[in-house]
Amino acid sequence: MSYVSLENSESFLKCFEVIAEDKSCIVSDSVLYFSGKTGKGFITAAGIDTGIEVLALNVSMLTDDLTIRFQPSTDASSYILHFDEIEIPAKGDNDLPVNNMSGVEKGHSAVSIADAGRGKTIVYPRERVIRSLIVRVRKSSLDDLIKDFDAGTIGAILDSPEGPAFLTWPITFKYRLLLNDFMTEIVQHPFRELFTIRNVSMLMEYLLQQFFVMQKLTGEGNSLSSQDTRSLSRVEQHLCSQYKKEFPGIEKLSRISAMSPTSLKTKFKRYYGETLFGYYQKNKLEHARKLLDSKIPVKVVATEIGYSNPSHFTLAFKKEYGFSPWHYLNPH
Amino acid sequence: MTMKFQDPEQEKPIKALQVLSLPVGLRAAVLKATVDRQDIPLPDFHEEGYTISFINFKGDVRVATGHRPGDKEQPASPGLGLISAAGKPMSFRTGASVSFAALVLFVPKGWVPHFLGANTPFRKLEQQLEEGANIITCRLGRKQLSQLSSALNVTGEKPLSLLNLQNGALALLEYFLCNRHRSLLGVSPTSDIENEDDLSLIREVESYISEYYCSDTFTVDSILKKTYTSYHRLNFLFKSIHGMTISEYIRNKRIEKSKEMIADNVKSISQIAYEIGYSSISNYILAFKKVYQITPGKYKKQIDSLA
Repeated sequence: MSYVSLENSESFLKCFEVIAEDKSCIVSDSVLYFSGKTGKGFITAAGIDTGIEVLALNVSMLTDDLTIRFQPSTDASSYILHFDEIEIPAKGDNDLPVNNMSGVEKGHSAVSIADAGRGKTIVYPRERVIRSLIVRVRKSSLDDLIKDFDAGTIGAILDSPEGPAFLTWPITFKYRLLLNDFMTEIVQHPFRELFTIRNVSMLMEYLLQQFFVMQKLTGEGNSLSSQDTRSLSRVEQHLCSQYKKEFPGIEKLSRISAMSPTSLKTKFKRYYGETLFGYYQKNKLEHARKLLDSKIPVKVVATEIGYSNPSHFTLAFKKEYGFSPWHYLNPH
Repeated sequence: MTMKFQDPEQEKPIKALQVLSLPVGLRAAVLKATVDRQDIPLPDFHEEGYTISFINFKGDVRVATGHRPGDKEQPASPGLGLISAAGKPMSFRTGASVSFAALVLFVPKGWVPHFLGANTPFRKLEQQLEEGANIITCRLGRKQLSQLSSALNVTGEKPLSLLNLQNGALALLEYFLCNRHRSLLGVSPTSDIENEDDLSLIREVESYISEYYCSDTFTVDSILKKTYTSYHRLNFLFKSIHGMTISEYIRNKRIEKSKEMIADNVKSISQIAYEIGYSSISNYILAFKKVYQITPGKYKKQIDSLA
């Protein structure tokens, strides 16, 4: 097992030296490349002078678990956010996601926010596909962003001594699309730093939105067990993968989750802030929007994401975004 | 922070121009107004750096590089991004009743090394600005326009509106720079593609296209699926090598083929159109006209008269 320990005062860039020492990888241009027996992929970091530091990981099939440890620091002026997507690599045309996770569950797909002052350890499991962004952001910049709205709420929860060490939420399709795009485009982007900061900024927006939605939804004493959350994320993964097909139907979903339809519905809503169908529909339309961005005609997009009738697609699109796909293509 | 701009002649305030500091270190000014024959001066930030404005409007607008009447003017088109070095403020002259929206970003000099500094593309842009080009423009696409209008929607009541503005600003900035980067690349097309993988990818795509381009089920999407690349990346590579987008490349290939078939004089034009994968004849005629500036029918007549 390889460890990476970081003092909070140290730069993310130091990570590389530590990982590179005991792994056969190449460091160049502040990017660490894995190859051969240690898996494939890269880690890259950007330290930015406005109080944001980013560590991006895109690795698959590591032969060993990778641990990144942030030491607790006395200087409590920043938060650590991370956006992890950890996938079991696909094996052919497996319709249903794999049910049994063997052994101890280490890292799992989630977004979370923690006070840097308390430190944090993240374990990335081996033999997985991992896309992750770890961001350190100054508390003052984050509070600036939510100033007139609800500044300090996150701080108040994390600072209270009996409160949780970190807040965590499930990863949704929005993050997934963004992380995916980020990892594929970062490699050859001419303005890497700007691209990174833009994506981080968007991820932060998603996280804060999710935070406020969840604040509203979760009442007291409504927490879900870890078994429930695992089942729910299985359902979510299945819903996301089905965007080209029809809605799978509640019976099938409840089979995947091993819950009754009613409890699946209520728990899903509580965990993701969306109804099952609403979530499925949003994911579908987000994919449609991406296709429209690459100048594919509306008719083709509609069939591509599984609508037999383009006008049904137009209606759904309009309901979600407030303008029709045609207007999206022709804004003038 | 709110600044008001007065027009000296008409003594009519244009509209409140909000200047906001974004947490990421940029400053942004937001302007939305309906004006009638007025000059709209953009704020001068009195600091070294660059001003990048994104504008959209309905009506007639001209861009000038200063406030005085004798300044050089350029006609503007809706949906535009403009960059100028600070200290050379731009202003917009409007015709009758124009609804005008602008997002003005100020990039301080200190910001450049952290975000754009080690970049040859940005150096080239800086060079152009130093060489006397006052305003460099780029056109915004539909995605950028929707980003612009959502970024301008800063009400303060909506939660996270500042973050929303920041995201829009960063995305537009990135688009602007990448767009300029590409047009700079256009000067020396093949210079950036040295990567073996990229070249072999392009060769693979080319051979795939030449095999299937006449099929009517053939789409750019099917290439993407086959090669596992994104549309933007493939287009970027194609543009740097062939100087045209991938769909233009396919169209040219189809039209070339159809030209040969017309010259053979065996099949009718509508037959040819369907055979090279067009589902409608008018689409085919338009495409042919775009490539050869002549309709296929006239071309056929020319050939016939020669024979």
